[in-house]
Amino acid sequence: MDDNKSQNEKISQEKTQRREASQWAVAWRRFRRNKAGIAGLFIVLFFFFIGITSPWLAPYPARSYQSLYEGEAGKAPSLKHPFGTSNTGLDVFSEVLHGALGDLYVGVGATIISVILGLIIGAIAGYSRGGLGEFLLMLSQLFYTIPILPIILIAARVFLILVAQGFGLTLIMLLLGIFGWSGIAFIARGEILRVRELDYIQASRALGASKTRIIFRHIIPNILTPVIVTATLLIAGNILTEVVISFLGFGDVNTSTWGLTIQEGYAYIRTQWWTAVFPGLATVFAVLGFNLLGDGLSDALNPRLRD
Amino acid sequence: METLLDVKGLKTYFFTEAGVVKAVDGIDLKVGKDESLGLVGESGSGKTVTGLSVMRIVPQPGRIIGGSITYDGEDLLAKSEEEMRKIRGKKISMTFQDPTTSLDPLFTVGDQIAEVIKEHEKGISENEAMEKAIKLLEMVQVSEPNQRVKAYPHELSGGMKQRIAIARSLASGPALLFADEPTTNLDVTVQAQVLELIKELREKQKMSLVMITHDMGIVAEITQRVQVLYAGMVAEVAETHSLFKEPKHPYTEALLHAVPRIDQRKDLRVIPGNIPNLINPPTGCRFNPRCKYAKDICSEKVPPLEQTDNGHLSACHFWRSLSLTGT
Repeated sequence: MDDNKSQNEKISQEKTQRREASQWAVAWRRFRRNKAGIAGLFIVLFFFFIGITSPWLAPYPARSYQSLYEGEAGKAPSLKHPFGTSNTGLDVFSEVLHGALGDLYVGVGATIISVILGLIIGAIAGYSRGGLGEFLLMLSQLFYTIPILPIILIAARVFLILVAQGFGLTLIMLLLGIFGWSGIAFIARGEILRVRELDYIQASRALGASKTRIIFRHIIPNILTPVIVTATLLIAGNILTEVVISFLGFGDVNTSTWGLTIQEGYAYIRTQWWTAVFPGLATVFAVLGFNLLGDGLSDALNPRLRD
Repeated sequence: METLLDVKGLKTYFFTEAGVVKAVDGIDLKVGKDESLGLVGESGSGKTVTGLSVMRIVPQPGRIIGGSITYDGEDLLAKSEEEMRKIRGKKISMTFQDPTTSLDPLFTVGDQIAEVIKEHEKGISENEAMEKAIKLLEMVQVSEPNQRVKAYPHELSGGMKQRIAIARSLASGPALLFADEPTTNLDVTVQAQVLELIKELREKQKMSLVMITHDMGIVAEITQRVQVLYAGMVAEVAETHSLFKEPKHPYTEALLHAVPRIDQRKDLRVIPGNIPNLINPPTGCRFNPRCKYAKDICSEKVPPLEQTDNGHLSACHFWRSLSLTGT
């Protein structure tokens, strides 16, 4: 009897494992066929790798003007300085590596904040039919229509004076996250409105499923895929906005970011093009990578396209 | 015959921004134990809403605003949501029209059947629930049930999905099943198989069935008694055979003549006009603007549901004088 039972359990465990594997396997199979998506994945992984390992990988520490004292400021790319040095003596190669960490920190961190806020606000807006839902929808529309960049620039300038300088990048991340949730909220709300009216939700109710079970088992999983896709694209947008903020001189001047290096180099673009061009290229590739990954995920995770 | 479900004067209105839609406006419905009843009418006649009302899962902005629903001697409208939840699926169940959307795309069909079993049998193990799911698939004649339980809905054909949806609604052995147009979205050949399956299952499980449909062919095939709805009200109730032979309501006659017959060379007669706007339904008999026998009184007075000489219930002022033809 016991033997039989344990064997049954084993079989069911196998079943469960196979089932989970198949669900992700379908998405992965679709994703793998998408060459652009794969390219995006590799670019993103590459930037995560250099960002995380930058403290060890970079030949010079962040924001180090050491080359100035070595008399090598403003030098063109060479073996010692693969991306050259800036007018002020920064090793551009090191700055690009350190900048990857700073920009991923802002891009990913702000997106996590936005996704959490957007999911909560969007979910409530989708569920409650009364005044609260209307209010949250209007709030989302307000956040969607107001020009975020000038507000963030002003807020960053004001707060950077008040807040201890070391937290500058975190501040930018918080601001981007707090102002950037409206897109996620719209998607979450729209998806919940769509999914909650679907037959299988009605069918679950007709067969005795509780509200909690319906929300967590049937609604949330079914709205997650577009949220994941949007979040991936949002990371790209947040990185770009951070670069713009730093480039305009409203960012944290004590932490390496691509925008800051571009700002330092753009005045000398005619004579020392490398200072601005390399962090600029890094920005372009990172944003491209996240966009390609987002598109690839969108194709792979869309259940209607599954085969 | 012992009554299982007794609905009296049910009113379910939808409070939309355009106005109050009186989707179900005073419907009586009786279903006996082990009986097969057809609930017939055009789209918008209130068939589905009646079913949803009995299960108390009317979607927003709809509300049950009047009437009584008694199931097996218990007042369903007095029950708490939690008590209703234990009745849904376990005692009264429902299958839906479109099998492609009534199954959750993210879970295997076995999971979805097991979910219902686990909901109503606390403490049952994952294994036992899955074993039961396999048995249910066997019962609805799905081939290779051991493999099929692991399939996702998108891997299956429409007919297969509808069988699985039926298996899921029968998972906890309900005594009453509302089948909401279960064959409408299926190929004709598959339709016949699914109907045959429902018929067999009903007889085997001694279950009562309310077949919601607009297809008179299905009614003839599967039901013992028919209730014809029009614009949220009952038009006629009769034994199936008798309804086809001797309809006592002009709307029933019109419905019967709108069905093609292969053995008679008769032109199809279309019912003129559309089902009325239920925000401002016609006064009196709701069918009067489309009725070829209509007289002045029809738009003035709502006809009562009366017992006719051949045992039907008919809501027509003129059931005595009209000689309507069946098929």
